Amino acid sequence: MTMPILDQRRIIITCGTGGVGKTTLSAALAVRAALEGKNAVVITIDPAKRLATSLGLSVEALGDKPEDLTPALKAAAPHCKGRLHAIVPDTRKTFEDFIHSLTSSPSVADRVIRNPIFQIFAKEFSGTNEYMALERLYSLALDRRYDCIVLDTPPSRNTLAFLDAPSLLARLFEEKLIRWLVLPANKLMASGIQKILTVLEKLTGEGFMTHLFEFAAALFEVQGTFVANLKKINALLASEEVGFVMVAGPSPEAVPEIRHFISALDSHQLHFDGILVNRTLGHLKRSDANDPETEKALKLVEAMQERERKILTEIRGETKTASVYEAELPELSRDVHSIEDLIHVAQKF
Amino acid sequence: MREEMHMVKSRPLVFVHGKGGVGKTCISQALALEFARSGKRTLWVEFENPSRPMGELHRQEVHLGGLWHLNAESMKAFDEYAALKIGKLGGLPGLTKLFLQNKLIQYLAKAAPGIHELVLLGKVWYERTRYDHVVIDMPSTGYSLAMFQSTLNFAKLFRGGPLNRDAEAMLATVGNPEETSHLIVGIPEEMPLREALELDQYMKGFFPNNPSAFVLNKRFPKLRAVEETESAAPFSNTTLEYAERRSSLEARNLRLWSDAGVAFSEIPLFAPGEKVAERIASIGAGHIP
Repeated sequence: MTMPILDQRRIIITCGTGGVGKTTLSAALAVRAALEGKNAVVITIDPAKRLATSLGLSVEALGDKPEDLTPALKAAAPHCKGRLHAIVPDTRKTFEDFIHSLTSSPSVADRVIRNPIFQIFAKEFSGTNEYMALERLYSLALDRRYDCIVLDTPPSRNTLAFLDAPSLLARLFEEKLIRWLVLPANKLMASGIQKILTVLEKLTGEGFMTHLFEFAAALFEVQGTFVANLKKINALLASEEVGFVMVAGPSPEAVPEIRHFISALDSHQLHFDGILVNRTLGHLKRSDANDPETEKALKLVEAMQERERKILTEIRGETKTASVYEAELPELSRDVHSIEDLIHVAQKF
Repeated sequence: MREEMHMVKSRPLVFVHGKGGVGKTCISQALALEFARSGKRTLWVEFENPSRPMGELHRQEVHLGGLWHLNAESMKAFDEYAALKIGKLGGLPGLTKLFLQNKLIQYLAKAAPGIHELVLLGKVWYERTRYDHVVIDMPSTGYSLAMFQSTLNFAKLFRGGPLNRDAEAMLATVGNPEETSHLIVGIPEEMPLREALELDQYMKGFFPNNPSAFVLNKRFPKLRAVEETESAAPFSNTTLEYAERRSSLEARNLRLWSDAGVAFSEIPLFAPGEKVAERIASIGAGHIP
């Protein structure tokens, strides 16, 4: 049986808070697509390198270039006709590549990259990882060899952070503001700006303002290309090719998260395709214990099952208006450490 | 182990770190409750928790010492901080207003990398002088690293100004074992346990003189009869199978911490519906054998 969502969308973006098993389920989705005969690739931006672990690989095995995992997949599933690849982008390198791609002048790119503000920006800016993931996705989307691309978004407390990242980054490139910093005439015209800059200089100490002006000047030169790229990315995300899926645990926090997620996708005019509830216990049949210690543990499991039933009902209440895919993935009795384990999960979708 | 938690509780600033989903909110809240009940004026801080009103300070239940909750918001913290600093430079309130309303400043406050983390740490650092204890619920391990790294970056980037001095002073406080403790929370699953160890390594790099304490949350009941072997079947069929496998898997996973020589206190997995923070506070996180 094929998964309708894999037939309908070429690109699936998985969102969710940290710790719910998003990376594992993203990899399992790509495995499922490969089992269905597709040429699949999973991209993950995960500082914890969960993808390599769940595939049973060493952390260094995955990198910026698509790693072909088809032989390992075929060893575990000999009849599999599809292909499987994985990418763990090096976000720092990609951001430098990205700056180079925005300008044909190596010296302009160098000025941006060598600026101390950029050095920090590339590492720390909360929107960078997310934006770079989208850049990588965009270039992969152009590669028609892949007929299923799964993007595992970076973990965050707020599931919507990912969607807001591009606009956050776009703010940095806002033309008018950069002009103020770069063009002295405008600086004088803006009322009170000199006074403000004096205060800022006093607060930040020596050198910072010089770096800031240099950085703004360099950004100004690449701004046009950046804004054009962002438009292309936004157009891709809103296209029929792309669907968003949320991964959640059967916990009380899941319900408000799903509600926020659906309304945020709606306001960005993106396609909400489904909810994957991971690590459910509902399938377990009740059994008896022989000693009081085990009895206590079983009561706890039953209480967890009871809560899960209530939460699943609430989740269905949140999604009932949309025709969405919903799956409950039973909790595995061991950690996912191999393609075989991912296949077990993939078959439960 | 009790010794470890005792250390955590003796210091004014307590940062609660850990991967998403390990129960940092409950544990930080429980610690704050314990402080307040022992007569200490206590502030429990979250950073921009989207499911609560932002930037507001609430007085919670009245205990001996008093317990307050703050969902700190970076834009508000930025404004407060700017007003404080401009005042110190001798600027009049009018200048502060002009400064904060300026488009360039608003832009920098929103878009400058690391500025949110810096002002939020600054907020906590400032509040510590107004309470006996401040307990901070950190959003994720990545956030913990970003916050200290950003402050370090700003200390380097702003040379010689008042911002540089503040950033340096914040790092000194957070790295000082007399003033601050760092509690890393894990649950008995492989990734959270590993991430806790990684965070500990990074924290040692930032604050070599202030080692973190560990607490293990959500420990499933230990079943004596069960061997610590990996399950052969991928899924369990009955509640008994599940309980036995989970118990055995947790014991195996915990070798990650014991092999690394980590000492930790344990908090059991509570049944759903219990007021977990209350329960942890009432048993006292440090008094579990």
